[in-house]
Amino acid sequence: MNLKRQLLIVSLLTLVLPWAGCQFIAETESALRSSQQQMLSGTATAIADSLSQYRILFPQPVDAVNEQLYAHSLATAPSIDGYFDDWALTTDSLRQLRGTDGPIRFALGIHGASLYLYADIPDDSIVYSAPGTIALENSSHYSDRLTLISVGPDKTNRFVFGAEAPGPIVAAYVRDSFGFAPDTRMPAYWRDYPGGYRIEARVPLSRLGSDLGVVVSNTSDPLIRPINSLSYGTGDPGRLASISKQLQTIVTGLAQPGLRLTLTDANGWRIATAGDLAQTPAAKGAASAWMRVAYEALIESGEDGERAAPDASGREQQPYVNRALTGDATSGWFRDFEDGRAIVAVAQPVIADSEVIGAVIVQQGTEAILSLTNERLTNLMYTTVGVTLLVAITLLGYATWLSRRIRRLSQAAEQAVDTEDLRRSLPSALDGDEVGDLSRSFGHVLGQLGEYNEYLRTLASKLSHELRTPLTIVSSSLDNLEHEPLSDAASEYTARAKDGAARLRRILTAMSEASRVEELMRNAEFSNFDLAAVIASATAAYRDIYPLRQFEILGDDNDVTTHGSPELLIQMLDKIVNNAVDFSADGDTISVRVQDDSTQAKLAIHNPGPELPEKMRGRLFDSMVSVRQGDDAEHLGLGLYVSRLIAEGHGGAIAADNVNDGVEITVTLPRSEAALVERGT
Amino acid sequence: MAKRIALVEDEAAIRENYAAAFAREGYDVDAYDAREPALQAFDARLPDLVVIDINLRDDVEGGFELCRELRSRAADLPIIFLTARDSEFDAVSGLRLGADDYLTKDISLPHLMARVAALFRRLDALQAPQSSSNRIVRGDLEIDADRMTISWQSQAVGLTLTEFWLVHAMARYPGHVKNRQQLMDAAQAVLDDNTITSHIKRIRKKFAVIDSEFDRIETVYGMGYRWLDTA
Repeated sequence: MNLKRQLLIVSLLTLVLPWAGCQFIAETESALRSSQQQMLSGTATAIADSLSQYRILFPQPVDAVNEQLYAHSLATAPSIDGYFDDWALTTDSLRQLRGTDGPIRFALGIHGASLYLYADIPDDSIVYSAPGTIALENSSHYSDRLTLISVGPDKTNRFVFGAEAPGPIVAAYVRDSFGFAPDTRMPAYWRDYPGGYRIEARVPLSRLGSDLGVVVSNTSDPLIRPINSLSYGTGDPGRLASISKQLQTIVTGLAQPGLRLTLTDANGWRIATAGDLAQTPAAKGAASAWMRVAYEALIESGEDGERAAPDASGREQQPYVNRALTGDATSGWFRDFEDGRAIVAVAQPVIADSEVIGAVIVQQGTEAILSLTNERLTNLMYTTVGVTLLVAITLLGYATWLSRRIRRLSQAAEQAVDTEDLRRSLPSALDGDEVGDLSRSFGHVLGQLGEYNEYLRTLASKLSHELRTPLTIVSSSLDNLEHEPLSDAASEYTARAKDGAARLRRILTAMSEASRVEELMRNAEFSNFDLAAVIASATAAYRDIYPLRQFEILGDDNDVTTHGSPELLIQMLDKIVNNAVDFSADGDTISVRVQDDSTQAKLAIHNPGPELPEKMRGRLFDSMVSVRQGDDAEHLGLGLYVSRLIAEGHGGAIAADNVNDGVEITVTLPRSEAALVERGT
Repeated sequence: MAKRIALVEDEAAIRENYAAAFAREGYDVDAYDAREPALQAFDARLPDLVVIDINLRDDVEGGFELCRELRSRAADLPIIFLTARDSEFDAVSGLRLGADDYLTKDISLPHLMARVAALFRRLDALQAPQSSSNRIVRGDLEIDADRMTISWQSQAVGLTLTEFWLVHAMARYPGHVKNRQQLMDAAQAVLDDNTITSHIKRIRKKFAVIDSEFDRIETVYGMGYRWLDTA
C-alpha cells in the first residue's frame, strides 16, 4: 500500500469527529428530555393528587371494557342527514361491529344535551319495514333496523330506527312487547347506498340511562327472522363512557399553556381533556432523508408521534397509560419524523383510597429541544463532511507531495549510483524534516561511496607512485651491485633480484596506466578518422603478434568515420584483444566486427572460450577486478578498466556478453554530428 | 679533468646509489639533499651537469625552482629531471623550464649513464667545429648525430634527448615501422604505450611549429610508427 493510500485511510479517522459530536448531542438531548420529563412528572403528580379528592366524579371501573361504548364530545352539532363528514371526527373514531354482510361501523357523539348516532351498515339486500311493523319483535314482516338499547337504574328502553323508505325517519320508542310509538324528538335519517345504508340519529340524553348498547338487525327476506349484531356481548350493555362535564371543568382549570392534559377513568376512557400542545411551526430542515437516518441511528427514536395524540376510539391504550392504570407513574417519548415534532408524555395514576380511579396524562411538545438538536446535528453533519473532505484532500495532497519528494529522492539516489555521479546534490537536502534528514544521510552515504570509489580508482596509481621510490632504491642498488666482484652464486641471485624488480616495475607501470590514460584523455585531440581502416590495420598487426590465433574482420567494408583519438582506441583494442587471446585456446578464431549504425559505431570483439560468471558481468570493467584465476601475477584487472575509461572518454560504452560459446566485448562509440555531415557530403 | 655532476635528491639511498654509479663512470659527484645547500654550492662553482629530483623533502616543487634558477645562470648547462612523478603535466612543465631530459626513476642505471654520457657528448660536439661525418639528410630533415640536433626545413627543432633518439631511430630507415620495443631500445628507456604516444605527439607538435603541414611520422596502428620519406 503506498503512502497516499495509507494517509487516506488515516484520514478516515476524522469520522470519529461526527461520532463524538453525535454522542454529545444525543446526551444533551437525553438530559434535556429527562429533565422535561421530571418536570412534567411533577405537574402530573400534582394534578393527580388534586383530582383524587373528586373520586365521586370518576366513573366506577368496569370489568367488561369491550361492552362499553364511548360518546365522543362533539364541538358542533352534526346535521341529521346520513353523512359523517360533519362530525368533526376521523373515520378512525368509528367503532366496528361484525355484521352479516360486512363490518358495521358506527360512532356516538355528545353535543349539548343530545346524543348523536351514526352508523354505516353494509347490507346486500335492504328490507324496509312494512307500515306499522317497524319496531315489532315478532311480526309477519321482518325488516332491517338499528336499535339503541338504554339501560337505566330502573328501566330499559329501546329506540328502534327502521324505515319504510329511505329518507328522514324518527325513532320508534318501544313501550312493551306489543306497542311502539314514533318519537319525533329523536329524528333520524336513513340513507341508502349501493351495498348498504347509513343511519344518523339524535337522541336527547335525558331519555337515556347510564348504559347504552347498539343492536343492528339484518334480514334478507321479510319472512326470515333477522340476525342481530350487538355492540355488547352476551350480557347487558356497558356503561356509556364520555367526557365528564364536572371533571372537564376541573381539568380545564388545571390546564397550563403548552401542555395537553388528558384524564382517563380507570378503564382508560377519556373523561376530560384540556389544553393542547404548543403549535410551533414544525422544526425546520428535518425532512431530509439522511437526517432521519442520522436521527434514528444516533438519537433514541421514541415511539411514533401519532400515538401521542388522543386515541380516536376514546380509550387511551398506550402502554405507558396502561401501566399508569395499574398504579405506576410512567412516561412516554414520541417523535414524529415527518414533521420533526417530538412529544414527551407522562402518565400518572389518580389514586384515591389506594385504588386507581383514573390516570392523568400530561404531554408537552419538545420542539425547543428538538430544533436545538436538529440544528446542532445539521451543523455537525455539514461541519463533519466539510472537515473530513478538507482533511482527506489535505492529507491526499500532503501524501502526494511527500511521496513525490521521497520518490524523487530515491530516483536521484539510484541515478547517482547508476551514473556514478555521486557528488550530485540530492533533492530535499536543505529541508528540515525527516525527508531532509534522509536526503542528507543519502547524500552522506553517496559521498562516502564516491570517496571510496575515488579511493579505489586512484589506489593503483597512488600505490604505484609510492612504491616507485623503494623500487628505485632496490633496482639502483642491484645495478651497482653488478659492478662489484661477486661470486657466481651471488651473480645469479642478483640476476633473479633484477628480474623480480623488473617485473615489479611492469606491475607498477600497469597500475599507473589508468591515471595516465585519464590524463591523456583530457589532453587528447580528437579527430575524424575511419575506424574500419584503423581496426583493419591493427588486426593485421595482431596476426603477427599472436601467431597462434586466427583473426577475422567482419562487417562493413565502408569507411566508418568516427570522432576520437585513434591511438587511444587502439590502446583499448590492444587490451581487449589481449584479453580475448588469453581466454581462448590455440587455433581459435577471434573475430573483430565493425558496424556502422549511422548514429553509433559499434565494435565487437568475440573470442571462443569460457563464459563470464554471471556475477562478474556488471563489475568486469571496474578497477582491479579480474576473472582470471591462478598465478598470472601481472594481471591486476586494470586492462578492461582502462578500456572502459577510453570508451567512456569517447562518450561511448563498453559491455561484455556471453555469445556463441564465448565472450563478446562490445564497444559503442557515438559518431559526432560533424562526422555525419562530413560523411554525407 | 673529470666532469662534475651535481645530484640533488632527497632520498639518501637513491642518492648514494646514483653517486656511486656516477663515480664509477669517472665523474666527480656532488650530492645534495635539498635545494638550498645545492644553490649555495652552485654559487661557488657550477657543475657540468645537474640531475634533479622534483620533490625535495617538503619542498614539493623544489626541483622546478632549482631548474629555473640554474637555467637563468647557465643557458647551456645540461639539466636532467629524475623523478618518481610520471604525469604528463609534470613532464611538460619540467621540459618547458628548459630541462634537457625528463626521466622517471624507472630508468635503469645503465640507461641513465648512457644518457648522461650522451649529453656530455653533445656538449663536447657543440663546442667542437661542425663536421659532416655523422649527418643524415632526409629531404627537409637534417640530423646531426654528434650534436644530437635536428633541423626541419633548415630550422632547428628543439628536441629532448629522448625525442631525438626516437626521431633518429625512425628516420634512419625511412618507411620501416619501428615498434615499441625498438623505439624503447633506441631511446635507452623503458617506455609504456602512453609514454611513447605522448612523445610522438610532442615531436609532431614541435615539427608542426615550423611546418604546419608536417605529416612525416605515421602511426601504423597496432604496430608502431614510421618515418615517411618524401613521396
